[in-house]
This record gives sequence, C-alpha cells and structure tokens, in this order.
Amino acid sequence: MNTTVNTHTTANALEPQWLLDRRNSGNETYSNLPVPSAKDENWRFASVLSEDIDAFKSAPMPEDHAIDYALSNSKLVEDPIAELIFVDDHLVQSKPLPKELIDKGVRFLSLNEAIEDHSHLLEPYFLKDSTRLGSQKYFGLHASNVKAGAVLYVPKGVEINEPIAVYHWSNTDKGLICPHTLIIAEAQSKVSLIDVLASTTEENRCLNISASNIQGHPSANIYRKVIQNFNSKTLSFQLDSAIADRDTQLENIAINLGAAKARYENQIKINGSGAHVTMYSLSVAEETQEFDQRTFQTHNAPNSVSDLLYKNALFDTSRTIFSGLIQVEEGAQQTDAYQTNRNLLLDQRADANALPGLEILANDVKCSHGATTGNIDEDELFYMLSRGIPHRVAMQLIVLGFFEEIIEKLGSDSLAENIRKLLEEKFASKIKS
Amino acid sequence: MSESIINEQEEAIKVDYEKGNFSFPEDYTYDAGTGLNEETVAYISKVKNEAEWVKEFRLKALEIFNKKPMPTHWASKDLENIVFDNIRYYLSKGQKPSRTWDEVPDDVKETFERLGIPEQERKFLAGVEAQFDSEAAYSRMKEDLEKEGVIFVGSTEGLEKYPEIFRPYFGKVIPSADNKFSALNSAVFSGGSFIYVPKGVKLKQPLQAYFRINAENFGQFERTLIIADEGSEITYMEGCTAPKFETATLHSAVVELVALKNAKIQYITVQNWSNNVFNLVTKRAHAEENAEVKWIDCNIGSRLTMKYPGVVLKGRKARGEVLSIALANDGQHQDTGAKMIHLADETSSNIISKSISIGKGRSTYRGQVHMPKHLKNCKNNTECDALLINTNSRTDTYPAITTRGEGNTVQHEASVSKVSAEQIFYMMQRGLSEGEAMSLAVNGFVNDLLKAFPMEYSVELKRLIDMEMEGSVG
Amino acid sequence: MQSLEITNLNVNIDGQPILKDFSLNIPKGEIHALMGPNGTGKSTLAKVIAGHEDYEVTSGEILLNGESILGKEPDEISLAGLFLAFQYPLEIPGVSIANFIRAAKQARLPENESINAVEYYKELYDKMDALKIDRKFTARSLNEGFSGGEKKRCEVLQMSMLEPDYCIMDETDSGLDIDALKIVADGVNLMRSPERGFLIITHYQRLLDYIIPDVVHVMYDGKIVHSGDAELAKELESKGYDWVKDSFVSSLAQ
Repeated sequence: MNTTVNTHTTANALEPQWLLDRRNSGNETYSNLPVPSAKDENWRFASVLSEDIDAFKSAPMPEDHAIDYALSNSKLVEDPIAELIFVDDHLVQSKPLPKELIDKGVRFLSLNEAIEDHSHLLEPYFLKDSTRLGSQKYFGLHASNVKAGAVLYVPKGVEINEPIAVYHWSNTDKGLICPHTLIIAEAQSKVSLIDVLASTTEENRCLNISASNIQGHPSANIYRKVIQNFNSKTLSFQLDSAIADRDTQLENIAINLGAAKARYENQIKINGSGAHVTMYSLSVAEETQEFDQRTFQTHNAPNSVSDLLYKNALFDTSRTIFSGLIQVEEGAQQTDAYQTNRNLLLDQRADANALPGLEILANDVKCSHGATTGNIDEDELFYMLSRGIPHRVAMQLIVLGFFEEIIEKLGSDSLAENIRKLLEEKFASKIKS
Repeated sequence: MSESIINEQEEAIKVDYEKGNFSFPEDYTYDAGTGLNEETVAYISKVKNEAEWVKEFRLKALEIFNKKPMPTHWASKDLENIVFDNIRYYLSKGQKPSRTWDEVPDDVKETFERLGIPEQERKFLAGVEAQFDSEAAYSRMKEDLEKEGVIFVGSTEGLEKYPEIFRPYFGKVIPSADNKFSALNSAVFSGGSFIYVPKGVKLKQPLQAYFRINAENFGQFERTLIIADEGSEITYMEGCTAPKFETATLHSAVVELVALKNAKIQYITVQNWSNNVFNLVTKRAHAEENAEVKWIDCNIGSRLTMKYPGVVLKGRKARGEVLSIALANDGQHQDTGAKMIHLADETSSNIISKSISIGKGRSTYRGQVHMPKHLKNCKNNTECDALLINTNSRTDTYPAITTRGEGNTVQHEASVSKVSAEQIFYMMQRGLSEGEAMSLAVNGFVNDLLKAFPMEYSVELKRLIDMEMEGSVG
Repeated sequence: MQSLEITNLNVNIDGQPILKDFSLNIPKGEIHALMGPNGTGKSTLAKVIAGHEDYEVTSGEILLNGESILGKEPDEISLAGLFLAFQYPLEIPGVSIANFIRAAKQARLPENESINAVEYYKELYDKMDALKIDRKFTARSLNEGFSGGEKKRCEVLQMSMLEPDYCIMDETDSGLDIDALKIVADGVNLMRSPERGFLIITHYQRLLDYIIPDVVHVMYDGKIVHSGDAELAKELESKGYDWVKDSFVSSLAQ
C-alpha cells in the first residue's frame, strides 16, 4: 500500500498537537492494516473490496454549477433551524442558529471553525475512538483526511425542538469525502440532527468515509437521522458511534438508498442506568447494490433498554448483510435488549444475510433477537388484487407498508413524506405491472 | 428432587453423572505411545491390518491436520490448551469385539455393567456396540436384523469387509479437510459404528453405541458412518462417559450420515463426558429426495464442546432437524449449534436449541442456514432460547443466515431469560425447597423440547439436569 | 394454641413503615375477612406471613399453632401448614399443573414415601371437576396463558389439594365474574372445617355474600381499625371506605 498518497492535504500548522497526533495515528492505522477479508468475522458475507482506495483523492472547491445543484436540491429537511451544506467537503452554505440559542450557549459549527476556535470542546471526543466493528482501517483514513462536518454542542437544559440539517454532497469523479458529525448533548438537553449524504451527479464514482459520534449526557434527548442517497457508483462507509449515559434517550434512524456498496457500522454504548436507545434502519437495495450493516449494542449499566430494528427490501441481484451483536456486560442486570432484522426478498436472485448475535454476561435480562427473511405474502397480494388494486400498486403498497413502521418513527411529517417520495421514485422503476 | 416427580415412566436407563467416575488399571496390548506423527498413523494402520488406501487416506489427513491452523480466530482460546504431543492416540487390548458379554474381559465388562449397558440392551435396544478406549469390546445386533441384511460393525471391520458399501461415502460427507479436527480424526480414527440399512428396512428399536474412555491422556477418535438406503428407517443413539482424570482428555469424532431417497435417520447423543474432556466433534448428514434426518443432541458434560450437527439437504423435499439441549456448569463451555445447507427445492429445516448456563458456565449457540438463489419454496425455522441461572452465568448466540431464491422463508428467534425470584417464592410457598423449585423451573424450560425425545432419553436427561442443578442456588 | 396469631407486627419496605403494630388472631375453624382500601398493607401482610424476603420485619411475632414462623423460609412455612393464594399467581413455563401439585404434595411426605399416582390423579380430577376446571388443564403449563379467572381457580385447586391448616386468600375475588366467584366460593366452603382457619383479604364485600365470614376486620394505614361480624362488610360496602376513615381512624386519633 502506498502510504504517501492519502496523507491529508489540508493539515495546517494551526491545528492543535492532539489533533495532529490523532491524524498521524489514523494514517498509520490505515497504512498498516490489511484490506479486510471475508474470513474476518466482522466481514463475513461481505464481498471482497477490490477497489484501489488510494485512487480516491480529496477534490478541490467544486465549480458553480455543482454548488448550485447541491443548494437547490438540499430540500429533504423542511425549515431546519440551522443548516450546513458541503460539496466535496467544502462548505458552500450555512444557516446559523438563531441568536437566542447562541446566547444560551448552543454551538453549531463547521468542523474547521470548531477546530480553530473550540479545540477544547473537541479534544475529549473528536477522533478519539475508532470503530470496533471491522472498519478500523477506513476509520484511520477518515481520521487522517477529515476536514468537513458539523459540531453541535447543546448546553445543559437547553431544548431545541426544530431539526438541524447537514448536507454532504459528493461531486468529483474519484473524489474522496470524509464528513464528520459530532453531537455533544449535555444533561437534560434536547436536540435533533439530520445528516443527508448524496451525489450531485449520476455517474461520478466517489468514496465516502463518514463518521459520527454522539455524546449523550444524563437525561439528554437526542434524535439523529442519517439519509444516505449517493449515486449508484459510489462506495460508502458510514462509521457511527454513540454513548448514552444515565437516562439518556437516544433515537437513531438510518435510511439507506444509494451507493454501489454501502457499509454502515453503528455502535452504541450504554454507560448509565435508565438509558433508552433505539436503532432503526430502512434499506432498499436494487441492481447489484450491497448494504453491509454491522451493529453493536453494549450495555455496561443496569436497567437500560436498547431496541434495534433493521428492515431491508431487496430487488434484482442486490445483497444485504445484517450483523448485529448485543453485549450485556457483567452487572448490567435488568437490561432489556432487542434486535430484529427483517428482510423482504423481491427477487429470487437477491441475497439477504443475517448474523444476529447475543453475548450475555448478566442473568437478569430480557434479551431477544429475531431475523426473518421471506417473499411478499401471496395471500396478501391476492387479497388486494381481488379488491381491484392493480398488481403494481399492490406490490408498492406492500413494500411501503413493510417500511411504514420505520418511516413513522422519523417524527416529522414533512421528512416522512419526503422519504416516502424517495422510496416511491425508487420503486417506480422496480415494480412492474 | 424426588424421582417420582420428574418421571412418571420410571422404567428407564440409569446412567448418572457420578456413575461414570471410575476407571480400571491400564492393561493394553497395543499402545501407539504419546504424540502424533507419521509413525503413529502407520502403527495404527498396521495394528488394524488395513488396506493400503485406508493408510494413504490417514497419512493425507495427517498432512492436512498439520497444516491447518486452530480455529481460534472465532472459537474459544481454550482450544490452545490442547497439547497434541501429550495425547495417546491408540490404546487397545487387541480384542475383537465379542458377540456375548461373557467373552468380554472382566474389567471392561464390569465397566459397562456399572454403566447399565447390558441391561438397556435387554430392555429396548436392537443392537449395541460398546467401545473401550480405541476399540469396541462388544458388538451385537439382533439376529433377525442380520437376516434382513442390516450391517452394524466397527469402522475397521466395515472398511475391510464391506468396502463396496462404505467406501463410496466414507470421508465424502465430511472431507478430511473440513476442519482441523476432522483431519485429526481422519488420520487416527478407530472404533465407532458403520451401519448399513438396506432398502425398505425399518428398524423398530434403536441401535446404540456407548463410548468409554478409561485411560488418562487418551484421545478417542471414533468414526461413524450410517447409510440408510431408500425407504429405510433407523434410530441410533450414542452415550459417552469418562472418569475424572487430572489432565485433559480429547474426544474428536467424525459422524457421517447418508439418508437416501425416502429414508429416515434419527441420531441421538447424550454427551456426558467428565468436565476435563475436550469434545470436538464434526457431524454432518446428506439427505436425498424426501429423506429426513433428525439430530437430537444433548450436551451435559465435557470441559469444552464444539459441535454443530448439520444436514445438507440435497434432494427435493428433504427435511433436516436439530434439537439440542446444552447445560453449561462451572468450568464448562458448551459451544454448540446447527448447520442447515439447503441445496434443493422445497427442502425444510428446523432448529430448536435450548441452553442453560449455571454458575460460571458458558453456553454458545452458533448456527448456519444457507439457501442459495436457484431454490424455491424452502423453509427454515430456528429457535434458540437460553436460560441463565446465576448472576455470573454467560450465554452467546451467533447465527448466520443467508437467504435467496423464490418463496423461501427463514425465521430465527432467540431469547434469553432467567428464573425470577418471584417464581421461586411462589413455588416455595407451595412447600418446595429452593433447589426443587429451581429444578422444576429449569425442567419446565426444556420440557417442550424433551417431549420430542424418545422417552428413555428424556427421563435420563431430566435426571442429569436435576443433578447439575444441585447446589446452584442458595 | 391452634391458631394463626399475629402480634404487634411492624414491617417496613425501603425504610417506609407499611404494617404498624398489626395484630390479628385467627383460631382454627374460623373465617376472617380483612377489608380495606388499596395500599393499606393487606398484600404486604399476606407476603410477610408467607415468608417473602423483601420485607423488613422490625418487631412483632407471627405464631402458627404456637410456633414462630418469622424468619423461616417460605417452604418451611408452607410445610408448617400455611397456604397463600396469590393475588397475581406466577407463570411457570413448561411445568404442568399436575406435576407441580404433585411435587408440592411429595414435599409433604416422608423421604422414603412416594405418591400413589392412581390415587393422586383421582383426587386431582375430582377436585378439578368440583372447581369446574377442564381436565385437559392438568397438562398445561402452570398459569401460562390462563385467564384471570382460570388462574384464581387454579389457586383454589392447589389449596384444596394441599389441605393446609390455614389459608390466606389475597384478593382471590378480584377480576372474577359472578359465576367464577361462586365456583371459588364453593371451593372454599367445601374446605371449611373446624380444623382449618381462613384469612380472606378482599377489597369488595361481594365474595362475602358467598363465603360468610365469622369476623370482618377493617384495615387502614397498616393496622386493623375496626372489627365486627358479617354485617360490617355490608355496611362497609354501602358506606364506603371514607366512612371507615371518618368514624374509626379519626376516633382512634383522638
């Protein structure tokens, strides 16, 4: 592996030493670790990554038409209270927080801004811990290259009811983007942030290695949604992690629609009693798409709840892999931990893999996992046809219905409606009469 | 717990946990010494007077064994504690298996009598083979079955006398290279049962093998191959015990089953090795069209068991089933599970696994269900439930499920639960002691699965579970 | 001495006093009803008598036929002759009613004796018939998937099979319709004997139309504030628990 190519290009002397150290160690990890193989338990069933990752480079500031495209299409979240829009990791537009929230101490900053002015805020968390789910190598690449993203800090007791939105557009062919999202929600705060990942073109092949980190302090209420809708050429890694403390209420929703191959790692660590964490995901896979989902629910404290539901619909020769692990550590009694994976096979060539796992070291727990894979229920279809509903519409209704329990959890009518539209567009070409 | 509660059908085999803990002084005619190399393999082959192809098969397997790494990238690190150089790979008194108990050497005979084997044979078995260390000491089947053409012999005799029947399948269901321990077994196998059931013959009573380790540092590597010809039916049961030696003992078997069209095989294991035995067993079946293979697998003993019985569903409408119960007490790790490989349309498989972890015991379920894309209308159902008794008990579940194809459905459910303090209080209020209450709750947990077992075995299992539960509370 | 005698019992949960100098004596042959509003300590009393370990007994005494049972294990108390019909019977998956009751009866026999299965099933079926419990229930897991009424009838079945000296019935009537209530009452009335004492804990008077108590106690805030005959229950029903508070609690306070 050529180690010099990807050395991050924007490191500037102004960066604090701790950050330079983390970048260097990331670069070393990236260079030293081998490309993962399917023999690694964390990569079981994943197709071999034959791509030359080093061929993807950070892109310069995009041209105006790309920026215009991005700006006019950053509409998924209606009326965000604040917003950042990036194209190829360059900030092209920002809508700052209202003054009253800034006065209360809330900060919503682009990463560069945060590094320059709020290094102390970042240091305890930013790039501190790598993923444990297999993509350590790519997290290393992210760490050495990351220059774009959002940092959200909500002080104790401040509640923000309106959503905050961050858009990351990939634009240049062979371009690398490394978006980062850091949410620090202090005690009793409330916040909702939506990340949208998308492409400005249909054909340019890009590499996304994004990472997010959520720090949920006691009794904080955090909603984090991420919508991945890259073009069908893109390679994507999303490496998410979150920590929930005492009574933290954390809701995660991931919508996965795009990319040629998308790996999504999400690890949640519960360190305090009374925490309640939900992890929902909806994926529609078509053509030769591969969605590779790896999750971790770690319970380090008693009396907390985690609930995971991942639903996948598969068309054509697409593949999905769900591999989840619930870990209940010693002493984490009265834990309720659930994990469910449901796969709807809409083509006999599609391929759904499920690896739901439990590791339980406490005895007073309620844990379960379930995985089901099946086709559309023929009786259900027949019932609808007998009511005069055309085949195509019936299929669409059934597939949308399959996802409805996730969509309704989005909590925002307009966002739910926009996601339904995206799904319908995707189905329109898929479901034939 | 009083016996009358747990069994209403008292007339059953009585192998209990402590019963197996005795051994006789060693007196072997053939001893391959400690450690494993080509000479060890050649020695075993020579003692057995084997055909050249069998010897070649062994030597090739040894080569594979030496090359393959330990599977510790996913399996327990405890495997690394096996010292292959300290193990004795072949021990026998040079006896041919006797057809009557009277001809069996006194110490061996007494061993099996204490384990209750001759008594069971009289009561409900169609045939028995009793293996003492490397070779069978006794082997007999009812005469009428012999007349019908049923073959029930040891592995050496099977390969020597009936190569035309057994050779085509030997090492085909489980190739030597399948894993490190199947390679080890293929290199040094001795004993076990080779069974052939002719077309249309249905055995009404089970055949049984009993495996006994008597010598310290000994590795037992029996090899079993059962071929059920078209439309035939057979139930085979195996039991095993060993004394509690100071040092670890290795048991590594290979069991291959072939169910031809419309045949049914039921294979029952009650594994009750003493808790210093590494029990690393590969078991797999081929099921042809409309055939049915059922593995009933109970793991009570051993230090570490790694065993994932599998069925390769090769023919249309073939059915595979694994019912398993594992009980892990202090110092034990039961790493068990099932594999269902669907290779034909309309095949179905069912896996039900129940595990109980007591004290610091650890039970693990590992499963694989595979349905490739060209298949239609296949079904799998998997349920694994774990019960945790103490605060430091541990359970893990790692299934792997791949589904493609049309009309295929897969369903997997797993749960982890415990016996609650309020349930125990409720039962104690009715006059049961805490231990009895716990035993009853645990038996209740496995009860619906036990109902699927032949009666003799469900009764024995309940007794074993009760014995394991003693002292787990309070 | 043939009585269940509770004297000056004080019980805390998490440091909070629940029973306060509670006293009650139930001689064999009598049925006592204990009534009172919710949260007054009735169920706590039942569980403390049965030996539940979650409660902290700070002082007082409980004597069963003259022998102290305080601090004994629940199974010892049960074998000493006390039965508690639970307000919320627990579900025990996989354990059939027949095997469960058999285990409980076996526990009452000397070690070298075992139950005669034929006689056992005859007795079980007779008593099930009397309680209008379908015989198929014997094979069902204890309380699992039972309706509220089925659970309560199953409690009475266990009570009649185990033939205790003293029966405590904790809100056995709650959630029952009138038919089920009559069945339960019939079961209790059949067991009524000079050799047996009952404590019937209830929130409503209705059950006492069918099981006529010898004594009715009104409990309030951790102790008995008033006792009377069966008529008291009716008065209580018509006047409500506020009447208790006004007429007895306030007078005690004076």
